[in-house]
Amino acid sequence: MHTQLEELVAKAEENIAACRTPNDILDARAAYLGKKSVLNGLYARLRELAPEERPAFGQLINEARAKIETLIAAQDKEIKNAIRAQQVQQELDLGMPGWMSPFGSLHPVTIVRRKIEAVFMSMGFEVAQGPEIEDEYHNFDALNTPQDHPSRNLADTFYLQNGKLLRTQTSTVQIRVMEKYKPPIKIISPGRCYRNDKPDPSHSPVFQQVEALWVDKGISMSDLKDSLQNFATAMFGVDVKSRIRPHFFPFTEPSAEMDISCVSCAGEGCRVCKQSGWLEMGGAGMVDPAVLEMVGIDPEIYSGFAFGLGIERIAMLKYNIGDMRILFENDVRMLRQFRGESL
Amino acid sequence: MKISKNWLSHYLTHDLSDNQLNRALTFSGIEVEATQVMPRLPEELISAKVVTASAIEGSDHLKVCQVDANDPAGLLQVVCGAANCRSGMMVVLARIGAVLGDLTIKKAKLRGVESFGMLCSEREIGLSEEHGGIIELPADTPIGVSANELFGLPDTVFELEITPNRSDLLGYIGIARDLSANLGLPLKLPEIKEITEFAKETLPLKLRIDEPELCPRYTARLFSDVVIKASPLWLQVDLIKSGLRPISNVVDITNFVMLEQGHPLHAFDYDKLQKENAGDEGPAVIVRKAKPLESFHALNKKDYQLRDIDLVIADGQNPSALAGVMGSSDSAISSGTTRIVLESAAFNPSSIRRTSYHHKISSDSSYRFERHLSPECTIVTSLRATEMLIKYAQAKVASELMDPYPLVDRVKYLALRPANFERLIGYPMDTQQIKSYLTRLGCKFIKEGAWQKDALEDAAQIPAVTADKPAALWFKVPQNRVDLVREADLIEELARLDGYDKIPMKTPPSRIMDHHANRIQEIVSRHFVSQGFFEVLNYSFNDPASLQDLGMDPEINTQKLINPQSSNQSIMRVSLLPGLLENIRYNLNHYERDLKLFELARIYPEDHETEPLRCTALLTGNKGETHWKYKTNALDFSIVKGIMESLVELLDLQVDKVAEYRAPWLMQANSLAWYVKDEPVLLMGLMDAEVCEKFGIDLGTLDQQLWMIDIDLHRLIELTRNVELTYRDLPRFPAVYRDLSFLVPESEKWLAISEYVKSVEPELISGVQLLDQYRGKQVPQGFRSLHIRFKLQDEEKTLTEERIEQIVASVIEVLTKQCNIQMR
Ligand SMILES: [Zn+2]
Repeated sequence: MHTQLEELVAKAEENIAACRTPNDILDARAAYLGKKSVLNGLYARLRELAPEERPAFGQLINEARAKIETLIAAQDKEIKNAIRAQQVQQELDLGMPGWMSPFGSLHPVTIVRRKIEAVFMSMGFEVAQGPEIEDEYHNFDALNTPQDHPSRNLADTFYLQNGKLLRTQTSTVQIRVMEKYKPPIKIISPGRCYRNDKPDPSHSPVFQQVEALWVDKGISMSDLKDSLQNFATAMFGVDVKSRIRPHFFPFTEPSAEMDISCVSCAGEGCRVCKQSGWLEMGGAGMVDPAVLEMVGIDPEIYSGFAFGLGIERIAMLKYNIGDMRILFENDVRMLRQFRGESL
Repeated sequence: MKISKNWLSHYLTHDLSDNQLNRALTFSGIEVEATQVMPRLPEELISAKVVTASAIEGSDHLKVCQVDANDPAGLLQVVCGAANCRSGMMVVLARIGAVLGDLTIKKAKLRGVESFGMLCSEREIGLSEEHGGIIELPADTPIGVSANELFGLPDTVFELEITPNRSDLLGYIGIARDLSANLGLPLKLPEIKEITEFAKETLPLKLRIDEPELCPRYTARLFSDVVIKASPLWLQVDLIKSGLRPISNVVDITNFVMLEQGHPLHAFDYDKLQKENAGDEGPAVIVRKAKPLESFHALNKKDYQLRDIDLVIADGQNPSALAGVMGSSDSAISSGTTRIVLESAAFNPSSIRRTSYHHKISSDSSYRFERHLSPECTIVTSLRATEMLIKYAQAKVASELMDPYPLVDRVKYLALRPANFERLIGYPMDTQQIKSYLTRLGCKFIKEGAWQKDALEDAAQIPAVTADKPAALWFKVPQNRVDLVREADLIEELARLDGYDKIPMKTPPSRIMDHHANRIQEIVSRHFVSQGFFEVLNYSFNDPASLQDLGMDPEINTQKLINPQSSNQSIMRVSLLPGLLENIRYNLNHYERDLKLFELARIYPEDHETEPLRCTALLTGNKGETHWKYKTNALDFSIVKGIMESLVELLDLQVDKVAEYRAPWLMQANSLAWYVKDEPVLLMGLMDAEVCEKFGIDLGTLDQQLWMIDIDLHRLIELTRNVELTYRDLPRFPAVYRDLSFLVPESEKWLAISEYVKSVEPELISGVQLLDQYRGKQVPQGFRSLHIRFKLQDEEKTLTEERIEQIVASVIEVLTKQCNIQMR
């Protein structure tokens, strides 16, 4: 048995030295140290020896085992070092382009619409949807628009042969929501609107708007200013100021126009803001009591504000796009620029 | 803490069901962790007397007993295996016919000896988990009394979680007081009678508090002529139901009073206490810090090395108790005790916590003291125990009440502004209601005064109401409510007593927004973007001519404008395709050859009530951008289909079938639809070059294919609504894979082939994968070679090699028969 052990160690030494790959090492480890290895088998054969010889021989097996383990570890280290050295030597040109699966982009108007939705949702508003093909009641009557108001003309509004019309603002959704739900109502309604304007740098017959509406007990102009400033800050940064100034809309009382300080000159005056330092954002105001009454909400108990923003206009300001028509050309060279904002 | 409903009812007049009581506790802020119902026992269970008990021959533990149960037929013979069974003992007998849970008592024969009943342990009657022996009733128990009467059954035990701020709830009376305040039910406190009889001789004791900061009050009384014996049965039963083991009358009484009053007590054997100085008249009780390395042998039979910050109750020489935590075994009550010192003290909670934590020793007493008990409670507690010691241990009062109280707990007065309740809780509560609730809690209304934040210790200092200060209600706070120190604490009590369910919700939960529709739209558009598509936005109009070019009739199912800006914008769009084709044309003209565009928008067919969402995409050119290492391929059906299949996975869409689809603008045999519940929801196909030419796109010259993807987003949103993903347990047995390679006629399609494979063993074949397709040299004309892999998995067991071979053979057989395959 002693000779057998010696021979085994000698053979292992030879074989381990011949290992060339990490796999060879795995094989060697299994062959000499594994459960079914000869060495392991020797432990079982200890009982063939006289009892007094057993501890000494057991010790010898242990030593052989330790020796083989050391040899394998050393050879393993050597092989792996060689592999590493090879990797360092490889002539890589790390300046060459990597491989990627190129992604596309959302349309900038969608990107801005999503940002606006996210800002308002973080303020607790819900996103509501309504039809684009509307009736006169929801688009005009319910919004307190006089019968002879010029906006009802064919020159301003698209009409369909079936008597319906294309909504001229998303305020129609406010009416539909207020008809269906009791306050508190806190919504924004983004979507397409239509006006019979010829396309030019700042007009389009099809455009997108987002309207905000918050009706509850104790809502005041102060809440309107709050929401407007929060929106301006989230959209254009902490340095942007907002203001409202008196105006007229049939469906709000008092009514206001909303401005933000010019994002391109920081209020100094420039071409974008026509030297005024302010940019017009849209109309706003406290919902007219007549509008609330028309949808069955008691204006003595509830009050609310509403405001509307043009999404294309915000996109143009945010990304410095000079002409609204660019947005509808869908040129991939334009779209490609918005990859970074899309996912 | 465990409380028995029957015991609780001594202090609270009520007719609450278990569920009602559970709810009342929960809404009082007392969490019910578990409820244990102890049902009424069968009437066959009665008290009985073991007249004789003798061992059965051949058994090491069985005894045959003759039991007196007032039976007209005489003594009953019962076999019992309990070690503590002996003659003369009063026991609980379950007679023939009694049903105890799953067990029905029947006439039985054990070791050839007949038995007519069973003698019961506590576990057998559901009183506790104790099963070490049978119940021994007090010797004076009459024979034939129903077990229900003996053990106060039925009953229900509630296991309560008391929040750490509410030390006043650590006893039955505290719980009863809170429920009484909450439910407006009468509270009944035990009447404590004055002590009229004293022992002939009074005993001397030297009582001193050396550490007033750690022990503000120590109330003690001495007793003589004490008779140590078992407690009356009702007291034992009450302790057992509350989770304590009865020991002997004196210890049981201290435990009972602790559970009732919430304030722990301790009894020392007077005769085991030593004097401080030889010349002292009597032994000493000194509240002091331990001396360094002083050791202490506690009642739990463990030794502790004390630190000089541990508070002890010492006699003249050695510690007799770790203050508020555990007594020593040396000074403990034993069967020979005749004279005792009854301690009712108050300790500093941090000190108790430190000692208990450091020495890893805790007890019902330390649990309570750690939570800060008021020193004001020591007297009542002591008096209540005194009364019981006189009654149940024949004790004689051998001293006046000794009551050093160096650090007096000050009375607190707190101001409450009624309007502040509404400001914090959200609805108003009138003054009358406020006073009523707080009075029920033990507060006392003093008067109206000006509000002030800080508590006062003297009612005379309550400031008068003035015009510039808000008015407030001033209350005296009960001293056991150590947690009430600010106005906000009182407001919390009011809100709690009135019920948190009364607090109105301001904003109803979201109900307007369609979150699901929003999410699906985001998934779809983000998927397209991640696959390299650019989103386009076109006007919402169609040109009637374009629709005709696609083979659609512009007169059918459309809505027309009266005043379009031009005739090519005169129809509300019913298809996104013309706009996209125009976008493709525009961009091809700008030398962009590899294009992937999509639009997600509404369409406006006349027959549709809503304006359904649609998502259409076009793609042409190469799959990706040119790369120096990885060559890019022209788009083909497998790439477009991959885009669809990954979308199906993203949406976790349950597709029923995938089948060929036809549209006038698509090439025949080159398009597919994914059906969900019989509706084609996802479409893809190769655009007909002839149609494209009408839109100014010359695919032939460009040598490109133009593919279309079309998603009925409206249906997709509805079909995925409320569909929830459910986790499936992982397979417990390994899957096995088998590969097959064969020739198959071109006419046989993959979808059918894979279905045939699965149909062989639908339960076991869980997947079929196409590894390779080959046409060419060794493959005859009209055939292709397929290499497939199928996955076998049995949910119940590991598949045997034999079974696997059998399945493989069946697969080959089916494919040969159905698809004319030839094995390679
Ligand atoms: Zn400017």
